[in-house]
Amino acid sequence: MGIISVERADHLYWMGRYIERVFTTLCTFFDFYDQMIDVDFDAYKRYCETIAIPDVYGSREVFNQKYLYDKNDPNSVYSNLERAYGNAIVMRDEISSHTLAYVQLALDCLESAADSKAPHYDLQQVIDYIHAFWGCVDDRVEDEEARNIMKCGKYLERLDLYLRLGYPSGAVEKEYSKFLNRLRKVQLNYSKEMEDRLTEIIGLGDGGRARYDEALDAIWKFFEVS
Amino acid sequence: MILDLVDHKESINRLLARYGVKFGIYKNNQFHEQLFPFDPIPRIISREEYEYLDRGLSQRVLALNAFLKDVYSEKKIVKDGVIPADFIFSSKGYLPQCEGICPPKGIYSHISGIDLVQGKDGCWYILEDNLRIPSGASYPMIARDLTRRAAPEAFVRNHVADNRNYAVMLKETMDYVNTGGINVVLTPGRYNAAFFEHSYLAERSGAILCMPRDLFVEDNKLFYRRYEGRKQQVGAVYRRLSDEYLDPLCFLPESLIGVPGIMDVYACGNVAVINAPGNGVADDKGIYYFVPHMIKYYLNEEPILRNAPTYLAFYEKDRKFILEYLSRLVVKDVSEAGGYGVVFGSNLTREQLKALADVIENEPRRFIAQEVIDFIDLDIVEDGGPVPRKADLRAFVLAGETARVWPSGLTRFSRNPDSFVVNSSQGGGFKDTWVLSR
Repeated sequence: MGIISVERADHLYWMGRYIERVFTTLCTFFDFYDQMIDVDFDAYKRYCETIAIPDVYGSREVFNQKYLYDKNDPNSVYSNLERAYGNAIVMRDEISSHTLAYVQLALDCLESAADSKAPHYDLQQVIDYIHAFWGCVDDRVEDEEARNIMKCGKYLERLDLYLRLGYPSGAVEKEYSKFLNRLRKVQLNYSKEMEDRLTEIIGLGDGGRARYDEALDAIWKFFEVS
Repeated sequence: MILDLVDHKESINRLLARYGVKFGIYKNNQFHEQLFPFDPIPRIISREEYEYLDRGLSQRVLALNAFLKDVYSEKKIVKDGVIPADFIFSSKGYLPQCEGICPPKGIYSHISGIDLVQGKDGCWYILEDNLRIPSGASYPMIARDLTRRAAPEAFVRNHVADNRNYAVMLKETMDYVNTGGINVVLTPGRYNAAFFEHSYLAERSGAILCMPRDLFVEDNKLFYRRYEGRKQQVGAVYRRLSDEYLDPLCFLPESLIGVPGIMDVYACGNVAVINAPGNGVADDKGIYYFVPHMIKYYLNEEPILRNAPTYLAFYEKDRKFILEYLSRLVVKDVSEAGGYGVVFGSNLTREQLKALADVIENEPRRFIAQEVIDFIDLDIVEDGGPVPRKADLRAFVLAGETARVWPSGLTRFSRNPDSFVVNSSQGGGFKDTWVLSR
């Protein structure tokens, strides 16, 4: 391989982003789900607010069902995993059938768990498959540039979610550093202005929290280069 | 031996699901992806039988390639009265845009999928030739890989030719005609029925899987557009989209999935297109009737493999025969594919037979009729036990420096006990095809 078109670079980048979105939102969901068992029945409202999705659910029961499995809810975990799959399936030749299989397995697992009364238990396997997916990426994706583009997507998505979820500034800095490390190794077009803005805000540590909206805006515009 | 495999039916199908071995189907204008049901009992072909098929299939593909070369250049076969001109020029597969174009190394059908059945008398009969974009090699290829994982003992005790070399054969075929540059597999996209195959063959052959937007023409050469702005010349395109969509400047102007200008590049010999545009004229169900004549005409040899007994409604004598014996024949619309447009006279009422006879009389060029071959059943596993079902074989012949028959093939079977139609789009399943190596 090693020859990547604009469209394929886009698929690699968004595959990384959506896989990461599923991973981090699912892990976060598990924390909120635990709260909803017997501590705070309405914790899902905070969850929606935190990750900036509309609360169209009305109750924790509906939320638990729709947010995880609803194919028609564009913000559901299922929809995000399906987007990851849509980007992965067209890249079989680059990422290998072995790597693609873990996205397929995660999707199948999510589908078969749709009636689960114990999502934290049944969906643990989705998390496991995502871990296996990234392990497979390192072992099976021969082209370093392709791996780095996927990881640009992964770390930028993680940065976005960590900012929204209020992770400690140390964790945010660490993910940003991982992102920059990958960015330096690829030839994607990006906005230097947005990079400078992110570097400044994240460099402020906890002092930069007040400007996280600005940072999220910079992530949004990072690869928007005409 | 077979028990090993039967016991692993579910585990092999689970592995096939894991690797996304699916095909797409459009129903009510909606795209659905479904798993291709795999039956673990292989079709077994002895070494001697394979050698016979190898000779017959290679001969057939050599003749078909010679025919294509002739049809798009001198047309000697028409001038010598072997095939009526009308029959060629009224074929939907004949493309006047391809007149005078000689593809790299003179090869038109690089990958031929020839459908055969074995009669109860043991004879093999050719049912049809697929010379445009025949699908299916990827399925037995990956199934073999997974079957060996699930039931290794079956392969310890049997000497089966390894069919996983298909990707190597494909790469050699592409390399042989490559005009300088990379090999690509051009797919119309993930919503194509055979997308799994496109992506899997690209992966296994080391070609780049590309979408039409990834390619562009400049200075009469074909290039692949790299993301960082550089361009890479393309030497061979294994295109998996139909002729009419290939180039909007040459064929359907409304095609959004073609590469504008690719036909000019191809006509100048600056890229190999696999298979060559215009091949449809040779795998037309009507032209099928003439393939044994082509073998004699071009190769001066007797055909090794037989056609199913076929009648052309185009010829008055044959038409009379068809109309007289319609109730025992199978009638095929030459413009249809995928198991569509196939009617068994024995399934029709008196009124339906009359209606069909009228259509045949009005549009004789549109139909052929064949004797129904009583072909052998193969066992498949259903509810834990074997049941017989109709099955055909798609053999793949790859033409490069020589024509080579892949020592395997796609065996498709009908899951319906009363049906002869084996196509996946009509609910059929597939088996691996074992060629014994000794």
